[in-house]
Amino acid sequence: MEAAWGSSEGDEDLTATQVAEPVTTGHVFEQVYKPWKGTLNPRWMRNWAILRHHLLGIFKKGHRPWGMPTRLFILIVFIASLSDAALTLLSGLIGDGSLHQLWGISRDNLYGHVLGFFPRNVLYYPIVAALLVGSVISEDRQHGTSALYFSRPITRFDYVGMKFVSVAIIQSFVVLLTLTLYYFAEIIALGRGWAWIMDTFPLFLAAFLSGMVLIFTYTSIGLALSSVSKGKFFPGIGLLSIVLGTKVLAILVSTLFDREILYLLSPYDCMAHVGQTIIGTQPTYDQYSWTWSLASLVAMNGIALYTLSARVSSMEVTRE
Amino acid sequence: MPDFDQEGKGQTQAWQPDLSAPAVLLEGVSKSYGRIFALSNITMALNGGVTGVLGMNGAGKSTMFKLLMGKLKPSQGKVRLFGTDPWKNPAPYARVGFVPEHEKMYDWMTAHQFVSTFARLNGLTRAEAMLEADRVLNFVGLADVAHKKIGQYSKGMRQRAKIAHALVNDPELIILDEPLQGCDPLARTTIMNVIRELGRMGRTVIVSSHILQEIERITEQIVILHNGRLLALGNLHAIREKLDQIPHRITIEADDAKALAKDVIDMDEVYGISFPDNKNLSIQTHNLGAIHAQLPAAIVNNGHRIHTIDNPDDDLASILGYLTSGGGL
Amino acid sequence: MMEAKPNTIYRALDRKAAAITEFTMRQYRTKASTWVVLGVGLVAISLVMLIYVDVMSTGFESIDNDGDSEDPDGDGYPTGQENKYGTDPYMADSNPGLLTPSIEPEPASNYIDEDGFDISISGTASTQSTGYDDDGDCRESDRTNSQQDTNNNGIVCDVELRYDRYQGEWEVDADRYVDEDPDDAAYAAEATHMAFVLGIGKMGFVLLLGMFLPLFLATGLIREEMNDGTMHFMLAKPIARTEVFLYRILGYLGIVWPYFIAIGLLFALISGFVGPSDSFFRFQDLGVWLAIIFATMMASFVYGMLFCALGTMWRFGIVLAIPFAAWELGMCIVSMGAPEAAILRFSVIGWALMIVDAAAVIVWPNMELFILQGRTMDDFGLIWTTSNALNFFYSKPGVGGSGLVSAVFATVVLLVQGAVFWFIGGAIFKGKEIE
Repeated sequence: MEAAWGSSEGDEDLTATQVAEPVTTGHVFEQVYKPWKGTLNPRWMRNWAILRHHLLGIFKKGHRPWGMPTRLFILIVFIASLSDAALTLLSGLIGDGSLHQLWGISRDNLYGHVLGFFPRNVLYYPIVAALLVGSVISEDRQHGTSALYFSRPITRFDYVGMKFVSVAIIQSFVVLLTLTLYYFAEIIALGRGWAWIMDTFPLFLAAFLSGMVLIFTYTSIGLALSSVSKGKFFPGIGLLSIVLGTKVLAILVSTLFDREILYLLSPYDCMAHVGQTIIGTQPTYDQYSWTWSLASLVAMNGIALYTLSARVSSMEVTRE
Repeated sequence: MPDFDQEGKGQTQAWQPDLSAPAVLLEGVSKSYGRIFALSNITMALNGGVTGVLGMNGAGKSTMFKLLMGKLKPSQGKVRLFGTDPWKNPAPYARVGFVPEHEKMYDWMTAHQFVSTFARLNGLTRAEAMLEADRVLNFVGLADVAHKKIGQYSKGMRQRAKIAHALVNDPELIILDEPLQGCDPLARTTIMNVIRELGRMGRTVIVSSHILQEIERITEQIVILHNGRLLALGNLHAIREKLDQIPHRITIEADDAKALAKDVIDMDEVYGISFPDNKNLSIQTHNLGAIHAQLPAAIVNNGHRIHTIDNPDDDLASILGYLTSGGGL
Repeated sequence: MMEAKPNTIYRALDRKAAAITEFTMRQYRTKASTWVVLGVGLVAISLVMLIYVDVMSTGFESIDNDGDSEDPDGDGYPTGQENKYGTDPYMADSNPGLLTPSIEPEPASNYIDEDGFDISISGTASTQSTGYDDDGDCRESDRTNSQQDTNNNGIVCDVELRYDRYQGEWEVDADRYVDEDPDDAAYAAEATHMAFVLGIGKMGFVLLLGMFLPLFLATGLIREEMNDGTMHFMLAKPIARTEVFLYRILGYLGIVWPYFIAIGLLFALISGFVGPSDSFFRFQDLGVWLAIIFATMMASFVYGMLFCALGTMWRFGIVLAIPFAAWELGMCIVSMGAPEAAILRFSVIGWALMIVDAAAVIVWPNMELFILQGRTMDDFGLIWTTSNALNFFYSKPGVGGSGLVSAVFATVVLLVQGAVFWFIGGAIFKGKEIE
């Protein structure tokens, strides 16, 4: 009972309490420590455990509890992203040529699915990214649950790497999976043959690659912000501010002075420029070459990843 | 104009405490969260002196305090501070000092800044607040470190700073929620002295804790909560007395325990004797006072050599144990 | 001991206000996030200013819009001069030097920017004739009447203005060779400068700074204290929760308002010196800059109240701020495209931008005419581009009436909006159970 209630300090009027009868509440278990002589499971299995914890948490209890707004929004965005696939299917069903011309697979539509500004890169993808990255590292800093990871044989690189991969995979559901479904919708709805597939597959691949670049960039910037902040929402809002704020500034400068230089600071525009080049759609940035955008993109990701690694390697294994 | 007094009526007169009402009154108060009752049917009145509120974690101590401080609304029943309902009415807090349980404080402020800033929320001017801050920080023993940042304080010093901030408006009712939690022994002693002093000054002080020995050292008036219910209220010895069905024990360590037992067993009030070991004698009785009255004569007249006499279950731990393991009042 | 004081919580409101406001401001100063947000805001908006300074110092080139400074036949006489004397600009052996008396060749620069805008709107007639052929290449040439009156309004060598009631704007139809080669450099500099002031004022200050700073700084004013448990300190005092809400906002304003004023004045100074002007400083712009600063202050006040209320209401309140921000961004664009749209009444930024528009109307009273002049150009040259930019950022205040009335009305509306959000936030806070 003594142990249960509180420590007994050196008290002057200490009374020896010798309880003869058995304690009625609580047990003390005898503990014998036996060193474990087994073999540690391979690194990939430990990392898979972290990945699984984060991924399954989206739709299953007992794993990382993503908030309900996050899950709901991901579902809504997934359905909304399939709009072009749905319209392609519809055009195939009703045989409407003009509808298919508007929504079917083409260079522009493949580009638009991944990199179109409105509504996908204003309302859908950045907000999904913001909701995901918001608390993924900052909660560990705030609650000290990083100790759960770092007191086990998990390197810091694995820790942040698996979080990165899990956030990227969840985003790829709404970006890349919907892109693939869109491609297949066209094949199914219009009965496309192998010749068509061989023609369009490089375009699809280019769009897929652009999508991966998009996801990678949003994730690295978002995770860098999450590692810097202790709040739950600051990283998400910060990501949205960077993406949309730089876009607004760039539009402002471009409208006022007809100078497109500030687009280099906007992650979205850099990705769009590179995407336009590799997919082969009409470039909308004509004052400078796409290699500048690529360089800027690499620099942005580099800074973000450097920040992320610096913060995580100096993260305390306790509540900060 | 916005509803400053939050009573829904334009309050133009000064709030006056109801002198006939006790400082703290709870009548039939319950607080439920869905189907879980954090407090059920608590009725008590407190006025003057130090009262200890005891209970295990989750018994409802903090909930009760938050109800008193208008942070929560009772699901049933009445809560009154000086006769006024504190929900949506912060006027009574002019007479109240509250020391919350949460650990987080403004680490970037010095204790003096902290106390004087919040003193101004009682309506003091800047100069008055500084003076009062000096006074209360001196009272709690932080005068020499008052101008260091709270972030550099130890846990005990932080608790004392919190107590100081609660005392700055010279309150008549002081509520301390787990003030000794996490403190080192020296800090505990200092804080306990402060609390006792406040009680002696005639204030109503309510202290919650689950460190039973400290509560015993501060006060004998206790309130025991368990699972949201009020199990006991009053003087702890009186409570123990009431638990008649549970026999008291007296343990005596003597050179010749068996010889002593022969002399003791004749006493009427003794109904059982046992020997925990060779040197110790344990007497079970229903009437502790009577045994203690006769024991010295029995020992001295028969020339026994005694090392210790103890009442092992006349303390709070035993009371709580008995009460919470099923025997209520 | 303190002397007895009456225990109403009206007592000494100003002391409590000062205490919480000062405390809040000090708290902001200790947080790194405050400095990061303020710093990033300054850097972002300074980038635009730097580009502006670069553009203005690079200057604008004058363009020969009608091409009459060229000499295609290489005889040393510019086309304009050859046209004036009736010789053939495409044949070298036909030039004014061969006339009697022989005419000396004029420098090509005489034929650049030689016929500037003389357009003015007078009266209320929906069809007006204005404009003047400065260099005489319409009036004095030996063309027929119909050649001199290509806009077919019966008046030779003029510019006809027609008011299109459906579009709500004037149409410009100039006779050929009238006002065809205005001073591009001067026009572009002025248009770029005014567009910059309006553009950065509206999108940079009011939208970006005025909305994003409250988003980061005001949302957690109450919510963070509740989460940390430190709200108990403030609420265990005889002070109403609505007061606490208000004073926390005052503390936030005490940080962001000086920031806006400082940056606004700095930018006003820089653009005043760099902008095109007859004197060394553009004093008249100060009116617009003051309005921009004021509009940003008002917007940050209203947004601060709103975001703080959202944060108080719900743990995830900041998530609600995102669609709201998207709405405001949309409304900003609408305000610039269609300033009379009724839907703008349902936004905060619509009213804030109206203050800026009102100041622009007062300080630059002939803006529409100025933009109109740029519209006379047929080609998509410098004048057309810059007047387009200016046209995008300039709007007449949507409420109508004079500039001053619109500004005052908009200010009142914003104050009311702020007060409403305060009431809502305070009411939510009052009824909140705080664990």
